[in-house]
Amino acid sequence: MYPRPIPATAPARRGLYIGLVSLVLLLWLLPLFTVMVTSLRSFEEVMAGNYWGWPKSFNLIENYTAVFTQTAMAHYFVNSLVITLPSVVGVLVLSTLTGYVLSRHRFPGANLIFALFVGGNFLPAQIMMIPVRDLMVELGLYDTYAALIIFHVAFQTGFATLFMRNFIAALPDELFQAARSEGASPGQTLVHVVLPLVRPALAALAILTFTFVWNDYFWAIVLTQSDAVKPVTAGLSNLRGEYVSAWNLVSAATVIVAVPPVLMFFLMQRHFIAGLTVGAVKG
Amino acid sequence: MASVELQNIEKHYAGYHALRDINLTIEDGEFAVMVGPSGCGKSTLLKTIAGLESISSGRLLIKNRDVTAEEPGDRGIAMVFQSYALYPHMTVAENMGFGLRMAKRPKAEIETAVTRAAAILRLEEQLDKRPRQLSGGQRQRVAIGRAITRSPDVFLFDEPLSNLDAALRTQMRVELSTLHARLGATMIYVTHDQVEAMTMASRIVVLNKGQIEQVGAPLVLYNNPVNRFVAGFLGAPRMNFVEGIVRTADGRGAVIECAGGMSVAFSDLASPVHAGDHVTVGIRPEKLRIDNIRSGTTFPAEVRLIEHLGRETIVYADAGSLSTSNSDSGTGAFTIQIGDIVPFRPGAPLVLGFDVHDAYLFSTDGRTVSAPKTVTGL
Repeated sequence: MYPRPIPATAPARRGLYIGLVSLVLLLWLLPLFTVMVTSLRSFEEVMAGNYWGWPKSFNLIENYTAVFTQTAMAHYFVNSLVITLPSVVGVLVLSTLTGYVLSRHRFPGANLIFALFVGGNFLPAQIMMIPVRDLMVELGLYDTYAALIIFHVAFQTGFATLFMRNFIAALPDELFQAARSEGASPGQTLVHVVLPLVRPALAALAILTFTFVWNDYFWAIVLTQSDAVKPVTAGLSNLRGEYVSAWNLVSAATVIVAVPPVLMFFLMQRHFIAGLTVGAVKG
Repeated sequence: MASVELQNIEKHYAGYHALRDINLTIEDGEFAVMVGPSGCGKSTLLKTIAGLESISSGRLLIKNRDVTAEEPGDRGIAMVFQSYALYPHMTVAENMGFGLRMAKRPKAEIETAVTRAAAILRLEEQLDKRPRQLSGGQRQRVAIGRAITRSPDVFLFDEPLSNLDAALRTQMRVELSTLHARLGATMIYVTHDQVEAMTMASRIVVLNKGQIEQVGAPLVLYNNPVNRFVAGFLGAPRMNFVEGIVRTADGRGAVIECAGGMSVAFSDLASPVHAGDHVTVGIRPEKLRIDNIRSGTTFPAEVRLIEHLGRETIVYADAGSLSTSNSDSGTGAFTIQIGDIVPFRPGAPLVLGFDVHDAYLFSTDGRTVSAPKTVTGL
């Protein structure tokens, strides 16, 4: 079993171990910490070049209020929600349906469809930048919420289908046979048997999809142009001025932008229940 | 009125002939048990009746109605699975009412049906619990309750007791027989356990390699098996089979010579055998004697292993070149069942003997050509 505990009788190895762990943690957390500290500094202090020292004044309230009063972040924030929430819902609904059908029903072409879903994940999305943008322009959707929602739903559903299919395939066969012999239609089986049992999978998928869509920057700048529909990631880069940037405000906005995915994680956490199918089969 | 009728049922999986020309009529109110070794097609046959497996050709009638093409839910059947297959996120009451809820029956009706089933199965106290809070026996009762609430025409049981421990299995066996008597419904029960078959069935269907070998009341099958397979399958411990060659045959009688010079003379054969035929002599362990007076057919043997069960003793004994091909011990040793305590130790010499009137004779193709005349039909 690794990692094996280092015995207290080997102080040199212990020291080395703790030293290395601390170094890695420092490297990992330093940028995050710096952004947080910077979000507390005053504009003058940042201009004076105090990036790493102890802040001279703590401007917590001023900076964070300024993000909402002096910039359009509140608007971008709303845009992000308008884009992300429907995308997540869309992905969850579609992947549950496709996953259910692909794992529980045999029909000609099922393997081909599944292969397409999985194979699509291997394509780097970036190579589709120009075709997707052109498509959205042709459809008259360029620079609308719909463009981003449709794109994200379409591209996340591939992976999500693989995820849900495997999860549903792992449920005991007898449950489906029992439901069928009791006269439940495939739709009733999905609603009354499958959904309650795949809750943990849906919660995990919701977090993954939410984080991905919320943090997406690439497609945000490819498919939108105007501030009216820009999500936070693209909005954040708007905060940088042409000649001078208020880094303290950019940092504060960054911290705010990072909150929803974390919040999402805690919201979904209660659905992670291990052993939901205990008691279904055998004793 | 025939409750379940199977007509020329065939089932092919990819390149595999799972069911071969199954013809069977199960009468209304019957408790039919299908037995056979694993892979004989008994579970497949049950799933075919349930509609969970499609059939390749043939017809299936339930209550004189052709249901071959109907969905399981429309056939008037209810199935109880070996693994219980309870919905883990529902309470016992919700589990039992599931079928009726899916059929959108009124709430009051569902409640009445659930209460009634719970009363029959003594589950009143458990109605608000979830399956994971129940013991194995209770879970199995919930699964049976789920079947009862739908008041089906036919109950289908797929090895429902094999996940329970031995004591509970005996208890559930009695409960199921009682339930059958009480509901008077047609039940079809699949098991590999021939004790369950013998004790519960009004009729046993013995299956082998996708074919029906014999159908009949338990004791009829036990005493008058039509072939070597049925004879070897029913009965615990299993029948001893000794290979032999017909030395002389004259119409109704024959003398069989076995290894080690033992010869057995049968008379009154059901169908003739011919000199030189390879045949099998069968003798049940309870009919094999440890013989000091050397009457009937006898042969020397040596104790290999002895099992004391209290009220009876099972002795496994080697008899040199004379060996049985159906041994419980898997070694060719003869199995002797004695209703007494015997003081032997491994290695002790014995003389085994049996009466020819207690012996069976199977022809080259496995058909029974001679069986004991003592008990018939029950």
